[in-house]
Amino acid sequence: MIAVAFPLWSDFPNGMRRSTGPVDNTREDQPLSEIETFYDVMRRQGITRRSFMKYCALTATALGLSPSFVPKIAHAMETKPRTPVIWVHGLECTCCSESFIRSAHPLAKDVVLSMISLDYDDTLMAAAGTQAEAALEETIQKYKGNYILAVEGNPPLNEDGMYCIVAGKPFVEQLRHAAQHAKAIISWGACASYGCVQAAKPNPTRAVPVHKVITDKPIIKVPGCPPIAEVMTGVITYMLTFDRLPELDRQGRPTMFYGQRIHDKCYRRPHFDAGQFVEAWDDENARKGYCLYKMGCKGPTTYNACSTVRWNEGTSFPIQSGHGCIGCSEDGVWDQGSFYNRVTDLTQFGVEKNADQVGLAAAGVVGGGIALHAAVSALKSAQKKTQTSVSKEEA
Amino acid sequence: MSTRLLVGPFNRVEGDLEISLDIDAGQVVAARVNSPLYRGFERMLLGKRPEDALTITPRICGICSISQSAAAAMALAAAAGTIPTPDGARTAALLHAVENVSDHLTHFNLFFMPDFTRPLYADRPWYETAVDRFSAGQGSAARRAVEARAALLHIVGLLGGKWPHTLAIQPAGVTRAPSLRDKVRMGATLQVFRRYLEDTLFGAPLENFAALSDAQALMGWTTGDAGLFLRIAADLDLADLGPGPGRYMSFGAYPGPDGSAFARGIRMADGPVAPLDPATIAEDLSHAWMLGDTAHPETGQTRPDEAMADPGYTWCKAPRLGGQTMETGAFARQVVDGHPLALDLAGQGGSVLARVAGRLLELARTQVVMETLLAAIRPEERFMGSHDTPSKGQGAGMLEAARGALGHWLRIEDGRIAQYQIIAPTTWNFSPRDALGVPGPVEAALQGAPVRAGEDTPVSVQHIVRSFDPCMVCTVH
Repeated sequence: MIAVAFPLWSDFPNGMRRSTGPVDNTREDQPLSEIETFYDVMRRQGITRRSFMKYCALTATALGLSPSFVPKIAHAMETKPRTPVIWVHGLECTCCSESFIRSAHPLAKDVVLSMISLDYDDTLMAAAGTQAEAALEETIQKYKGNYILAVEGNPPLNEDGMYCIVAGKPFVEQLRHAAQHAKAIISWGACASYGCVQAAKPNPTRAVPVHKVITDKPIIKVPGCPPIAEVMTGVITYMLTFDRLPELDRQGRPTMFYGQRIHDKCYRRPHFDAGQFVEAWDDENARKGYCLYKMGCKGPTTYNACSTVRWNEGTSFPIQSGHGCIGCSEDGVWDQGSFYNRVTDLTQFGVEKNADQVGLAAAGVVGGGIALHAAVSALKSAQKKTQTSVSKEEA
Repeated sequence: MSTRLLVGPFNRVEGDLEISLDIDAGQVVAARVNSPLYRGFERMLLGKRPEDALTITPRICGICSISQSAAAAMALAAAAGTIPTPDGARTAALLHAVENVSDHLTHFNLFFMPDFTRPLYADRPWYETAVDRFSAGQGSAARRAVEARAALLHIVGLLGGKWPHTLAIQPAGVTRAPSLRDKVRMGATLQVFRRYLEDTLFGAPLENFAALSDAQALMGWTTGDAGLFLRIAADLDLADLGPGPGRYMSFGAYPGPDGSAFARGIRMADGPVAPLDPATIAEDLSHAWMLGDTAHPETGQTRPDEAMADPGYTWCKAPRLGGQTMETGAFARQVVDGHPLALDLAGQGGSVLARVAGRLLELARTQVVMETLLAAIRPEERFMGSHDTPSKGQGAGMLEAARGALGHWLRIEDGRIAQYQIIAPTTWNFSPRDALGVPGPVEAALQGAPVRAGEDTPVSVQHIVRSFDPCMVCTVH
């Protein structure tokens, strides 16, 4: 299913449509009154200045930036034209969208939903079929080279892609077409980033991640099944606000959210260090909140922000609910043995490895914007864990 | 002379959907539903460790992942002879109810109602109110509903760690033993949600809505967004649009030590409720791009036909109970449970009105179910019993997802999954024709739908299709 993005012109009832022709984000001399900014959108939605500033502050926090960046974010949102986003869906379960519309701050959701839209809230999509196709095409043509393509799900290649048909054509064709003129691509979730569950053996449809099909564009991977809502809004807000990619690690993940293992910031970590483990579900140790390592927790090898940002508006995360992490944001978790086997070969405990050449991976960065590197690299980006494996005790 | 119209992709449904309509003299004479998305979950489960089904099957669907995980846990428990602890079962039921309620709320506010804001209704007296409340992405009701839903899902966050794709439900109970403090917190969350329902959706105490006893009383309900819907339904005669097969099926919702909240069984129109015999379930593959014979899910296979040969026209199999199509969903659940309002609506043939009203009725009734479940949870008790997955065995997990009857059929051999078949609610409702040429429930409901001159996405078709609340990612999986 395609969800043609946001276009501004659809939600302007009375001639408020001001943006005509492709938006050129790089032209600072362009009359600002000609281009709608994020702030304009917020004002139009009746959002107060106070709420707007609060949103900027929360965004800075989510991005791991110091309070001094708040005015910069505010300034960017007041002056920058908003970047068009096209959101397409391949083989998927829609969990990324479901996660996305549940961001903590209602404002973030409103703003982002008004900037880009999901399939069920798009007035253009209200007319199905050919009109939807036309809307997608119009967006591509209008913003050629300037839009961000957000991909949820992934393309199956078997049988010429016939396992996922959008508007009579294989999704992979739509993906290639939409990617051709995109400025950058966001791979939402484990499906688009790594293939996820449908690529598990025997991968019946030969589902592949986006980067196997699109090789000539910068791709930001935001893995997780699904990714945390605040991580999604954080990444997209960062890109829309600063008009550049966030710093990425070697796998293409934003280091600000994927720079640390869940284990590193897990509130049960002291019990791991003290050798206090849950031995069986709901045993005495479970009640005491001991470490779930022996129950198969993959927190020690999983890079994600669950233990810091948490889920459902900061309520909890899987380990807090007494179930180990399954490592859903890592590549290939579906075929590494049972989810309830314990991780072995943990060679990296103790001191964090310092940032490696991760920054080099950001070579695909779309230039310009406000330099945030210093602040971001304060977050340690640890080494990836290719040498880790899972015990084959049952094999 | 009839013309053929292809409607799709549908927006505001979960997943992909395409419907081919034969139109003659201003109405639909035949409909064929195509589910164009196939992933092959049943194949990738083969050879895996049985417990891994708990993690893999929820990924079938991002909107009803708890239903899938609960069905997998139930199938594993059945294969092992495990019985969850009473408080584990109550907690699992609460998790599940929260998800189902969230889905109903999403459906009404974000998927179904926005169709009434289409310009072609601009001359109707309720139009401006509908636009104000429900226009996609802008409506005040939609925003309020998304907020209320996010707040309600804190309960899943607390008990399950995360949503979607919660991991907490296991064959012998749940991984999280809520403390007394958690219980108080969840009670407060439920109170906030009740206030939302009573202030916004119903505009009156929800017990009053749950006490409606017939269609006439229903149509007299004027308050809240429910009242707006009923005003629209009366004006557009939604009571006559999209009748179902008149055969309703429910696997029974929220089983636990205190019994099921909503009964299991089948019912023909407003006849007496009859027991459900799972042995008579079979999936017909004659019009699906699937190879193999009609089979019960204990033995059925999922082998996609790469040639996509005729007469197949979808990846969706055609499940039948005793050879017949069955309607499943919130309305069917309330009919089987014997609620007088649902029975009266069923007696009038079921319809778009009946399905949407059934969902509203269930929202009101499930709020009470959730409050009762929470009150019964005893933090000092065990939430997980013992469970050993056998190296050989088989079991079925049959329960009610938001959209209706969901079944998982599992067989274990040598400690590995040797057979796994899933029939999702939308597989029943959106099934293709069977070997006898009998169309599936939605295909049949679409026959007779009016098509206005020049309409290329007939609005009546949109109303009918959406009244079933399709979840296409579940349908084929």
